[in-house]
Amino acid sequence: MNLAIQTIKIGFIKAIKTTLTLMKVVLPVYAVVVIIKYSPVMSFLERIFEPAMKIFLLPGEASIPLISGFFTDEYGAIAAATQFGFTPVEITTIAMVNLVFHSIPVEYALSRKIGLPAGKFVLYRVIAAVIVGLIVSRIGGIFL
Amino acid sequence: MTASWSVIINEFLTGSFSTVISVLKVLIPLMILIEFLQVFHVMEKLSKKLSAVTKVLGLSPPAILPLLVATVMGVTYGAGTLIEMNKKDPLPRKDFILIAVFFFICHGIIETTAIWATVGANAFVISVVRLAIAGIFTMIIARLPIFGEPKYVEVSGEEKAEEKDSDRGGA
Repeated sequence: MNLAIQTIKIGFIKAIKTTLTLMKVVLPVYAVVVIIKYSPVMSFLERIFEPAMKIFLLPGEASIPLISGFFTDEYGAIAAATQFGFTPVEITTIAMVNLVFHSIPVEYALSRKIGLPAGKFVLYRVIAAVIVGLIVSRIGGIFL
Repeated sequence: MTASWSVIINEFLTGSFSTVISVLKVLIPLMILIEFLQVFHVMEKLSKKLSAVTKVLGLSPPAILPLLVATVMGVTYGAGTLIEMNKKDPLPRKDFILIAVFFFICHGIIETTAIWATVGANAFVISVVRLAIAGIFTMIIARLPIFGEPKYVEVSGEEKAEEKDSDRGGA
C-alpha cells in the first residue's frame, strides 16, 4: 500500500513540474496570439494562409495554432487553438496535423543528437502531416 | 487594433489561466497513471503479449517495448527505454528508424488525447485513427528498399550501420 501512495505522490509532483514547464510555453504563446488576433496582422495572415488551410477544409485562422505548434509544442498549439471558435471537426484536424508536425526546431536538434537522419525526418513529418490532415479533415465528419 | 488593451489583457489573463487549469486537471491523474504503469512494469508485460505486432510493422521483436512505451506514455519515457536498451543490447538501425517513423506520428497517446479532448477534439480520431495511420506508415516504410545502403552514418549510428551492412543479404 505504501508503494501505491508513494507512486501517487511522485506522479502528482511530476504533473506539477510539467505544468510549470508548460506555463513557460503557454503564457507567452497565449499573449502573442491574443495580440495578433486583435491586430491588423490577423486578417493579413488569414488571407495568406487561407488557400493552404483550404486543403484541410480549415479556415485561415487555423494557421495560427499550427504555426505556434511548429515553433513551440502541442501546448503552444492548444493555447492558440482555444482562442478561436473552431468546430469539433476543425479542432480535430488541427490537433492531428499539429501532433505530427510540432516543435520542429527542438525535435530536429534532438533527433540529430540521438543519431537519426534529422533532415529527412523533418521532410517525412511534413509529408505525413499533410496526408494526415487530408485524411482526418475528410473522415472527421463521420465520427462527429 | 480592433480591441482596446484592457480587453486584450483581460482575455490573456482569464484565457491563459483557464488553459493552464484544464491542462493541470488532465496532467495530475495522467502522471499518476503513468507512474503506476512504470512501477508495476505494465509495459514490459504487455509487450510480451504484443510481440506479434512487430512482424506486421517490420520490426524485430525487442523493438516492441520502446515503441509501446513511447506510444502509450510519451516520447521522454520511450527515449529513456531506448537508451537503456541500447546500453545492453543495441537495436538494429532499421528498428531505430522505424520506431522514429512510428512515434513521430503517434506518441504519448494518453496525454495528447486527454488534453486535446478537453479543448474539443474528437478523442477517437486522435487516438485510434492516429494509431492506425502510424501503423500504416511504418508498414509501408519498413518495406521500402531504403534500408539497403548504410548511408545514415552519424555520431551514434556508426556501429549500427556497419552491423546492418553485414546482415543485408536478404533485404
